[in-house]
Amino acid sequence: MRRHPLLLVVATALATLAGAQTLGCGASRSARSVAAEKMYVAPGELDKYYAFLSGGQSGSVFVVGIPSGRVIREIPVFEPRAAYGYAVHETDARRRELIATGGLWGDTHHPAPSEKDGIYDGRYLWINDLANGRLARVRLDVFETDKIVKIPNLQGAHGIAVVSPDTKYIVVNGEFEQPTDGLVTNPAPYTSVVAFVDPESMEVKFEVRVNGNIDIADTSKDGRYAFSTVYNLEQGSDQGHMLQFDRDAVAAIDIPAAEKAIAAGLAEAQNGVPIIDPEKAPGVLTLIPVPKNPHGINVTPDGRYAIASGKLSPTVSIIDVKTLKIVAEPEVGLGPLHTTFDDRGNAFTSLFLDSQVVKWNIDKAIAGDDDYIVDRINVHYNIGHLQAAGGETMKPYGDFLLALNKLSKDQYVPVGPDLPENQELIDISGEKMTMIGAFPTPPEPHDAVFVHASVLKPLVKQVFETGDEAVKPGQEQVVRTGPNSVRVDMTLIRSAFTPEKFEVREGDTVTLRITNVETIRDMTHGYALPDHDLNVSLPPGATRTVSYEVRKPGVYWFYCTNFCSALHLEMRGRMVVQPKDMQVSIPDWHANQNVKGITVPGVPSTGAGQ
Amino acid sequence: MTRQRIYCLAAAALTAASLALPLWGFRMTAPQYPDEALQLQITRHGIRGDVQEVETLQQYIGVRFPDELPELAQAQVAIAGLTALLLLAAAVHGRAAWWLRRVVFAVFVAFLLASAVTVQMRLYEAGHTRDPNAPIRAVRNFTPPLVGPVKVGNFTVWSFPHAGAVALLAAAALTLASSRKKPLINADALNPRDDGSRTGSRLGRAVA
Repeated sequence: MRRHPLLLVVATALATLAGAQTLGCGASRSARSVAAEKMYVAPGELDKYYAFLSGGQSGSVFVVGIPSGRVIREIPVFEPRAAYGYAVHETDARRRELIATGGLWGDTHHPAPSEKDGIYDGRYLWINDLANGRLARVRLDVFETDKIVKIPNLQGAHGIAVVSPDTKYIVVNGEFEQPTDGLVTNPAPYTSVVAFVDPESMEVKFEVRVNGNIDIADTSKDGRYAFSTVYNLEQGSDQGHMLQFDRDAVAAIDIPAAEKAIAAGLAEAQNGVPIIDPEKAPGVLTLIPVPKNPHGINVTPDGRYAIASGKLSPTVSIIDVKTLKIVAEPEVGLGPLHTTFDDRGNAFTSLFLDSQVVKWNIDKAIAGDDDYIVDRINVHYNIGHLQAAGGETMKPYGDFLLALNKLSKDQYVPVGPDLPENQELIDISGEKMTMIGAFPTPPEPHDAVFVHASVLKPLVKQVFETGDEAVKPGQEQVVRTGPNSVRVDMTLIRSAFTPEKFEVREGDTVTLRITNVETIRDMTHGYALPDHDLNVSLPPGATRTVSYEVRKPGVYWFYCTNFCSALHLEMRGRMVVQPKDMQVSIPDWHANQNVKGITVPGVPSTGAGQ
Repeated sequence: MTRQRIYCLAAAALTAASLALPLWGFRMTAPQYPDEALQLQITRHGIRGDVQEVETLQQYIGVRFPDELPELAQAQVAIAGLTALLLLAAAVHGRAAWWLRRVVFAVFVAFLLASAVTVQMRLYEAGHTRDPNAPIRAVRNFTPPLVGPVKVGNFTVWSFPHAGAVALLAAAALTLASSRKKPLINADALNPRDDGSRTGSRLGRAVA
């Protein structure tokens, strides 16, 4: 048989194509499995890092395991959350703080864990509320919000940072400029302040006035300077005027100099907080000119440089922390917003407009070498913050980087017009970056920090320690304390409320103190009361006190909301509200003897003792 | 001081020490208690350990801890008596001592047997005198063995002698040793000088 030459050519081409396809397929499968393996944490295995992601307009903090991307917990902060019984009731201390400081919603941006010797010590996490000028502290031993304060004299608490290396203060930047004396009639241009908050008492110790909008914060690793990016040095009050100058600034506040100025009486108190006007206290504030409207500011792990990201300029400005002078301004790409670090002298900058992360070498950029750009990787899409493990400490881990993207577009099955935020995990352990996985979150993480599990895990409590406020077993009681008030002391343990019932009268206010007397971990119970807008969540050992006015006469079954045990559904009891003018006692309904012992066809009786 | 007398004194010390130690132990494991097995110990004061948690769990299957354990008070008296007898046996000389030690050993064994029977009866009782109105009736009656595991619902319950019981057993063995005219372990027999090829020599070296 003669072979047709054309046929041979076609056959060869097809075979080559098929081979290439097979090879290509094989290669891509292998890349997928390599990436998957890096992110895979088998059931029962634990993540290497706790990542704390700010919840943005959710007002909370999301706790995500890294590398798995599993959402492990949400810590409600500035918004009540019934599921956790957080700030849901008027008598709740956090709710009172929230109302007193600005309301039941917040916009969290920057989680800042406490530091000791320049690394996270796992004690606290601070988080800002941009919208209402607040700062909250989360206790990391119980993952609960512990204190919320309003920062006087500022609006728009944006950037925050702990003062390294030992958390001397929490720096809070006021972004939205205000009349200097707080009076709307003041004709002078608006200004802002940087607040320095005591980490233990959460009192604002002092503030430093800055002209312009104070954006992102970081501190030098030796505790000397608080750095902030400042835009709108123009002090313009509309967008057009905010963009006129070619250069804005990085503000460097000399913290020891500021403390001296306070001691020397150079500050003026406003709303109980001493404010330093830098013009009257020279040496406190240095403005370092950088391309206009910069955004992120990040100090390198070795503490030598502060790197301001250009945002509208495709550059980053590298500032020598000793001299406060710019040593280099390398181009990195379009829309640089934030920078983070590995442990090998590399910086990673997020490029909002390019939708990329760029990896560049700090020393090479300063030396003016052409090859300072090491790698670029596409992210999806419009990345804001990015954070490498330990990137804000003196000891970065150099393994994972989280890209916090503002838009997800086509990355997940569509869920209507409002799409989730997209978090992407990048392996930065090699020379080239590798995208290894992604996970969506509710709106809207702005920033994240990684705390190594080996640091935090040993500090986390499994049960609350019961204090003096706890109701002890045997001390449960129902006491009428006034014509319209009843006090109920209650305990919970599988699978019962004690007391199981109590009677009140229409118009009464019930003050309920409940203790979950469980001593075993994960045995959370709830006290939900129908038609009273009430759910109290009680992790083991917890005591909560709530006060509520009883509603119309009736029988209300309070029940456990946290599925606890084989008798979870039976774990309930009655609050009987009697009409004002009646006094009846609660009937107890017992099993009907005729019904007891009924045999259901086909189901063998399995009584005890057989 | 003779070797037998030392045995006697050591037995007295161990017997007295058992009063300060937990006598019997229980270890309970279940899937939802991954790294937190529940522990119970019987001490001379009663039941100790994860009592609240075990009580909480027991109510589902109608098992209750006994309200009182009068045996423990009796055992305390017996242990104190045995200690006194052992001290006496250590003090006495001559042939009387030999007889006394034999008697003490017999009493000791009787006490241990009686204790074992009592514990086993209590264990049987725990698994058989259950509240017929307990929520979960599907769990069948059970008898935890004196030593070993039993499956109760989703739990595996291990019973085992705790430090106090081990001390008592050791004391009984020492009492037996003290009542023998020859040492219980003959170092010469275990370590024959004449025949190094015997396997016994290895044991001999270990003991020596």
